[in-house]
Amino acid sequence: MKTTSVMIAGAMTAAMAGPVAAQTEIEWWHAMGGSLGETVNKIATEFNASQSDYVITPVFKGSYEETLTAGIAAFRAGEQPNILQVFDAGAATVIGAQGATIPVQDLLVDNGIAFDIEDYISGVRYFYADSDGKMIGMPFNSSSPIMYFNVDALEAAGVTAPVTWEEFQDVTAPALVEAGYVPMSQSHMPWIFTENFFSRHNLPFASANNGYDSADVTINMDAPEIRDHFEAFKGWIDNGYAGFYGASWDDNATPFQQGEVGLWLGSSGSFGGLQKTAEFEFSATYLPYWEAITTEPTQTFIGGAALFAMSGQPEEENKATAEFFRFLTSPEVQYMWHQETGYVPITEAAYEVAKADGHYDRFPAAEVGIQQLSLPAGEWTRGYRMGFYVQIRDVMNREYTRYLTGETSLDDAFTAIKEESDVLLSRFAQTQN
Amino acid sequence: MTKITHNKKPIRVSDLADHAILIAGALLMLFPVYLAFTTTSHDNITLAREGLQFGFGDQMGANFYAAMFEKGGFSEQIDGTSMLLNSLILGIGFAFGKIVLSMAAAYAIVYFRLRFATFAFWVIFTTILLPLEVRILPSYEVVTGLGMANTYTGLIVPLLASATGTFFFRQFFLSVPEELVEAARIDGAGPGKFFIDILVPLSRTMIAAIFIIMFVYGWNQYLWPTLITTDESLFTLVRGIKQITQSIYEGNDIPEYGQAWALAIIAMLPPVLIVIFFQSWFVKGLVESEK
Amino acid sequence: MKRAAFSQPLMPVALLLPQLIIIAVFFYWPAGEAIYSSFFLQDPFGFGSNYVGADNYTRLAKSSEYAKVAGFTLFFTVLVTFLSLGIALLLAVKADKVIRGAKTYRTLLMWVYAVAPPVAGFLGALLFDQNIGPITDLFAYFGYNLQIGLNYNDTAFAMIVVSVWKQIPVNFIFLLSGLQSIPVAVREAALIDNKSGTRRFWDITFPLLAPTAFFLLIINITYALFDTFGVIDIMVKGNPASNPITLVYKVYTDGFRGSDLGGSSAQSVVLMVLVLALTVMQFRMLERRIHYT
Repeated sequence: MKTTSVMIAGAMTAAMAGPVAAQTEIEWWHAMGGSLGETVNKIATEFNASQSDYVITPVFKGSYEETLTAGIAAFRAGEQPNILQVFDAGAATVIGAQGATIPVQDLLVDNGIAFDIEDYISGVRYFYADSDGKMIGMPFNSSSPIMYFNVDALEAAGVTAPVTWEEFQDVTAPALVEAGYVPMSQSHMPWIFTENFFSRHNLPFASANNGYDSADVTINMDAPEIRDHFEAFKGWIDNGYAGFYGASWDDNATPFQQGEVGLWLGSSGSFGGLQKTAEFEFSATYLPYWEAITTEPTQTFIGGAALFAMSGQPEEENKATAEFFRFLTSPEVQYMWHQETGYVPITEAAYEVAKADGHYDRFPAAEVGIQQLSLPAGEWTRGYRMGFYVQIRDVMNREYTRYLTGETSLDDAFTAIKEESDVLLSRFAQTQN
Repeated sequence: MTKITHNKKPIRVSDLADHAILIAGALLMLFPVYLAFTTTSHDNITLAREGLQFGFGDQMGANFYAAMFEKGGFSEQIDGTSMLLNSLILGIGFAFGKIVLSMAAAYAIVYFRLRFATFAFWVIFTTILLPLEVRILPSYEVVTGLGMANTYTGLIVPLLASATGTFFFRQFFLSVPEELVEAARIDGAGPGKFFIDILVPLSRTMIAAIFIIMFVYGWNQYLWPTLITTDESLFTLVRGIKQITQSIYEGNDIPEYGQAWALAIIAMLPPVLIVIFFQSWFVKGLVESEK
Repeated sequence: MKRAAFSQPLMPVALLLPQLIIIAVFFYWPAGEAIYSSFFLQDPFGFGSNYVGADNYTRLAKSSEYAKVAGFTLFFTVLVTFLSLGIALLLAVKADKVIRGAKTYRTLLMWVYAVAPPVAGFLGALLFDQNIGPITDLFAYFGYNLQIGLNYNDTAFAMIVVSVWKQIPVNFIFLLSGLQSIPVAVREAALIDNKSGTRRFWDITFPLLAPTAFFLLIINITYALFDTFGVIDIMVKGNPASNPITLVYKVYTDGFRGSDLGGSSAQSVVLMVLVLALTVMQFRMLERRIHYT
């Protein structure tokens, strides 16, 4: 029925506009399973219903990795979709392959759609941009790591959510232990405790301007700050101030959901699921920082994924893609996406709509992610660009876990991460010529 | 059944021990399957909070109904039934293609005076060594190059490039008594006649056995169908399960676990039914092969 | 070995051709491409590529992590093959022996064969879940803190259990049918000789099972090496970290997941050579001892 009405609407518009060419069809490959996929379908359906010239078809292509590989395979065979969703750790691969994508900024401008990077929330502007600040990929499902807390637990312990790690260590953790809770767990060591550790403290994460200027880059995993942080984390695990359940997201999140852990570092997007599974009152706040490192903590990086317009498509299809991006970034669609999925809205206008609608009065925790992304920016908070980053994250997870379980020493773990990552980076540089 | 029986004797201690071992084995094997059934009868939130369920809840019907008949996908056209159909096409098409190809190849290798028979066998056999994951990019290029993306052919044919079937049939043909082919030759039967009149009937049970094995293999494919199809009307059950359970790790929402479990059970049933239905054939077929 | 019976020159070629063409296009060509690209570092989208000689191989040879993965793969393959064959053999011998309920046992034991790999993995992951897994609770009851995904040995244990569980039914079916095919006369003769049950099994039954066992050995080794991929992926929840993984899983993480085409191609080639050597060895050692017909 829906299709019919769309077709009728289309036919009417066509009749009014005189002779028109057939509708331009474009394809969008994504990795959004479950209810996220349903929201993606909803966005596409609404776009198709909103006008009569273009038809977009979203296709679920499996996990992030499977989607990226499907896109690569298709590009090599000349069968690429118009839009490909690529996750944060795969960004360097797709941005490095200049010619595989059309920078989204060019795409919009060339098709007569106004583009001003200042319209976007400051935390999402440059993560998928090149070194000149030109936006290459359109941030789509964006989130940032934040700290959730069990309100009951903090009340029982008579403390408030810690602002700094010093406060956590000296005040919050002992009180939570006293009250019978495991004070803290976190769900993603590379993302939360590494990448965002660097951005929260405004520390350089890699050479060559965090990797934006060149593929020839080395990682700053020998920075004393990050080593100290992990040494502290290990100390907390050993004396019961933190729970550590391995590298898996869920294994670290479940104890919080079950009310055993007081503070949990997760994603701003975790909000929706928590609301259904947690049987206690919870809220959220910014990621803590070390006062010893900085007294002016900065904003965090976004995680999640972006949409890339693949090159090699006919002009009218690129036009359709541009029109879809315009639709996608409209405040209404962004607000709908924000509400239904918990991902942050990417434009200031959408944020205003959400505020005006009272969304954050109803769900104060939903605003924390976007507020944190809107904190003051620093020299090193744009993002990072490193190739073979998926493997680098694997190395981090491997060595961190070994260190935290006592299998290896702090020195050995960080030496291994630094060395193996730099080898991977130099190998990646060799693929780019 | 060709077995020695002592059925006149009373039950002995060792018999009891045998039964105990078998019962223990069956229980250990089946307990997880039982858990899949009980788990399916609960709602999503319980499953997200507590995981596997040991007792039956009241959501069984609802979950199965949602899994089978609730239209989903962008096209609002796909449901459990359409995915079931695609899985059947994939399973049957793959099993059928595999049997035809590998029987022909094994026949050529075993029954013909062929200078390169051993070589051909090894050429085919080597394909056991490299799983599809490893050669997926070039395979994709070939299939799309041939215009076979989004077709059942493109779905099935690349999976056929493996040796298992040929290996099975070779083993079987080697064990067929040689007198048969001698007799056929004396009767003046050519290779075609021998194949159709004698070998195929002899292999009937073996074919059934291989059909089941290959059907289950094709039925369970995930990675290749995901890559090569973009058309929702070609989605299979296994892919449907993945689509529901794959939540991005951030946990934006809890997956529809109940529906996923129901699909998982539906995905289990056709192979089980086929196995049970063909069971006597199946076992007999393999018996023949070792005589 | 059977003597070839027919000498028509064209027919066998025609019979082999379809199989050979499909294999050439979908196996040898991609495999050749893998060998070729193992000497390059390549941009996945196909824009840049750099000839690096044997660099991708020497890197593997020098990597202690790779050696560790290879070691685990060996351990895992041997154990999964041995356990799944051993347990299946025990069950098959018993199912062959009992009279009452033989068919019921057979049906029950074959069920698991139909469970799709992602479902089996899902079941395994939930059973062993660190926080809400029944098996974890069971171990906790006995005072052991099972930590799948954190403790290397615990994770290896869970991977082996799930992989064996999934493979027992196939082995059971084949072994049972092998046992039932042993001629009555042979069994009776053995019985008259009045040897003990165990002696009878090892002296008479086991050698007669040899063709089946040889065939199963190859099937099981390929299973443990390649088809356990899904089990491993789900047990580490997509994050290998310090958990045990197999060589194929490593090819997947580096190539498929991490887009390092050259490096993962080199790994595939190493894997191919290893498995090929292993198979040739098995054929040479075992097949000449097995008597068909």
